[in-house]
Amino acid sequence: MQQLLNGIFIGSIYALFAIGFTLVFGILDRLNLAHPAVFAASAFVGIELVERGGLSLWAALPVVFVFGAVLGLVIERVAFRPLKNRADAHFAGLISSIALAGMLIALLQWRYGPDTRRFPPGSFPDTRFEVFGAQVTLVQVVILAVSLALMVGLTYMVTRTRLGRGMRAVAENPTAARVLGVNVDRVTAVTFAISSALGAVAGVLFAINVNTAQLGMGAAIELKGLAVIIVGGMGSLPGALIGGLLLGLAEVFAVQHIGSSWVNVIAFGLLFVILLLRPQGLLGARKVREV
Amino acid sequence: MLGQYATTLTFIALGAIFAYSFYAVLIAGQLSLGQAGFAALAAFSGAYLAPAPDDVGDVPSLLVAVAIGMSVGALGAVVLGLPTMHLRGVFLAIATLGFAEAVRVVLLNQEWTGGAQGLGVPRVLTVGMAWTALALVAYWFWRMGRSRYGRALEAIREDELAARSMGIDVGRHRLAAFITAGAVAGLYGVLYAYYVRLIAPNDFDFVAAVEGLVTAVVGGSTMFLGPLLGSGFQTIVPEIQRAVGVEAGWIRPFLASLLLLVVILFLPGGLASLIPRRTRMPSGAADDDATGLAGRRHPEAGEPVVTLSGLGKEYGGVHAVRGVDLEIRAGEVVGLIGPNGAGKTTLVNMISGLVPPSSGSATVLGTTVGSTPVHRIAAAGVSRTFQHSKLFNRLSALENVLVGAHLVSRPTFLRRLFWLPSARRDEQAALRQAARCLERVGLSELAANRAESLSYGDQRRLEIARALASDPSLLILDEPAAGMNHVEAARLSELIRSLARDGLTILFIEHNVGMVLQTCTRVVVLNFGEVIASGAPDEVAADPAVIEAYLGSAEEDADGTGARAGATAAGTGDAPPDAVANLRPGAAGTLDTPDATRDAT
Repeated sequence: MQQLLNGIFIGSIYALFAIGFTLVFGILDRLNLAHPAVFAASAFVGIELVERGGLSLWAALPVVFVFGAVLGLVIERVAFRPLKNRADAHFAGLISSIALAGMLIALLQWRYGPDTRRFPPGSFPDTRFEVFGAQVTLVQVVILAVSLALMVGLTYMVTRTRLGRGMRAVAENPTAARVLGVNVDRVTAVTFAISSALGAVAGVLFAINVNTAQLGMGAAIELKGLAVIIVGGMGSLPGALIGGLLLGLAEVFAVQHIGSSWVNVIAFGLLFVILLLRPQGLLGARKVREV
Repeated sequence: MLGQYATTLTFIALGAIFAYSFYAVLIAGQLSLGQAGFAALAAFSGAYLAPAPDDVGDVPSLLVAVAIGMSVGALGAVVLGLPTMHLRGVFLAIATLGFAEAVRVVLLNQEWTGGAQGLGVPRVLTVGMAWTALALVAYWFWRMGRSRYGRALEAIREDELAARSMGIDVGRHRLAAFITAGAVAGLYGVLYAYYVRLIAPNDFDFVAAVEGLVTAVVGGSTMFLGPLLGSGFQTIVPEIQRAVGVEAGWIRPFLASLLLLVVILFLPGGLASLIPRRTRMPSGAADDDATGLAGRRHPEAGEPVVTLSGLGKEYGGVHAVRGVDLEIRAGEVVGLIGPNGAGKTTLVNMISGLVPPSSGSATVLGTTVGSTPVHRIAAAGVSRTFQHSKLFNRLSALENVLVGAHLVSRPTFLRRLFWLPSARRDEQAALRQAARCLERVGLSELAANRAESLSYGDQRRLEIARALASDPSLLILDEPAAGMNHVEAARLSELIRSLARDGLTILFIEHNVGMVLQTCTRVVVLNFGEVIASGAPDEVAADPAVIEAYLGSAEEDADGTGARAGATAAGTGDAPPDAVANLRPGAAGTLDTPDATRDAT
């Protein structure tokens, strides 16, 4: 039971991170490899807000959300918009976002140094609950609640609001969306902002969960995020949620039963099988090719 | 002097070889990150299995290790490639990445690899050896570039579907490119192992794979020198920073990333785009000398070319094409007309093998359509153009047509490696063929221009030239005159008739009814997926069913667009075949009207 809950907590963070990834891919058909750098940056910024700014853990979350959104706008403007009309926009976007991620990580190193950072002692409330015989901290409950709330909010926004309709229209056909009066550039920028804001919150939640922030934490979760969005189906939001939870659970159980060094083989073995059997992922839709 | 820079130079060579393993697939438009896995497998198996340098000497030991490593890498590529070759773009990248990660973790958990501590390997590799290996790899890709095989890979990168229609076996070519990547990555893995003294599975992780990819893309993935330039750039930038006294820490990675960003944003073709690209033109005049080209057997006039019986296609309950019986005989020029959505394109897609029929049967040039891959049907002698131009955009007009000649030219890559004169003769023959086709459509002056830079009308003509280059028996044109003005359309009509005089069988879809009536020997009218009329142009034009299909019935007050499109049919119906030039623009029956309505809907 304890393992199950741990799997769900860590899985919900994976899901939140992966949803940011898959949102950009699903709507704009671009893989943003600066996403993991946003994840790492926001963890450091979150710690600084608590440490120097004297904010409580929870007050730091919305600030980090906004920070992430701003980063998202920067990423879109610098790494993706200039490539908009290029034939090789796919490859070029990958590389330019990797470059931007490198700059971001270098800046983090400048400001925070190469060492691992932690939240100041006493930042975490001590409240614990017992659920079906398993220990659960208040922090873990809040992590789960925040992740779920953000994912529900995102789903509502994409399916019900005017902006969400714009996003779906752009995903379907950018040219047609433009003709119909959708401001494609604005929708693109907003998509990046939301995506990065979610990635940022995931980063700070991850840092809270393990009480560390490292420069390499983005790279560590990047692969998992890619695995999750493939398993769930590229561009599928509920798919990313299910994929994230699945990965979290699989990891926890792999550590328990097979040994921690084999964790990634489980994740990627699963990924590989799904790609072969169902390339569109669990919940993804196959795009029909036009002649 | 050299000794001082030996380490840097060796790492440039190693980085470049690894980048070539990405280049090998990028040139075919495949994004793979599995090379790190191939390199890891090769490095460990090569270092583990090869005899120790102390026993057999440095060079033999390294050569054996390289042979083992390249075989292991290539084998790994086959094993990974067979199940994943149907994946595209990001999906392929992530699947191959998953493979590389799995390899890394498995190696990490083996005892013979030394696990995380790594495996000690004697240092054998010298600068000279590294650069020799690099030179060989670069030479391979240099000779590949202008061979038939190299062009086919580029065509696949630019437009896979069009490449298939040119008779290129895309699956085989993609797998071949992937295996090359595996072998080159294997070479890198072994050379790396014999240089750094201690290899660990984590030397071949995700970060390493991304670095290889970045090097290839920064250098330029469309020109064989790209990976070398990229590796030089990636290795020298930190060195220069160190030399000018930029201190370690955050500034170096920051500047390196910034430079990378600048290169990718402002040099679309990578560093290699700074090198001017020579465009090759055929030497000698475009005469009718067809030596060096594979011969084609064309059906005799009157032999059946296409036989359709009860052919139908259904999309989720909607019958796009229903019960079509049609026979086209060699030498005919058949025009396929009908209102929008009548199923014309679906019908020709079935004939050219792009879309499998859901009912009925079709035989094209002796090949049964259905389960036959597109490239086989092309090989049987079918060549086509597309409704929306599907050119190889970043290739020159001439190269586009050269790809079109894939089926009639001979493979030249292996012979080019050894500079055999026969390879040169065959390449010249293909070039002459391409030049002839360009001349035929009147594009000789624009041969060196990129396809994407041509005007719309020229792009349509280029597609026809490309289709002609394979010396087809059946030519299918899907709305060749779309977007042409009436002067261009009249010229196109003349071209089609001259091709028919050469004995080519032609099936073409066109909305420009006047042009169809003037050009064809037979007209087939399709409406709601069914053939409603078929016969000589003037018979069909007078057929009440056809007029109704275009105009709507007399009682029904047809909407504006339908009426105008119909007026063309009616207006030209009674006119003699030459009437196409006499139609007054502005009158109801202008030639451009049907195109305009088509574009608007």
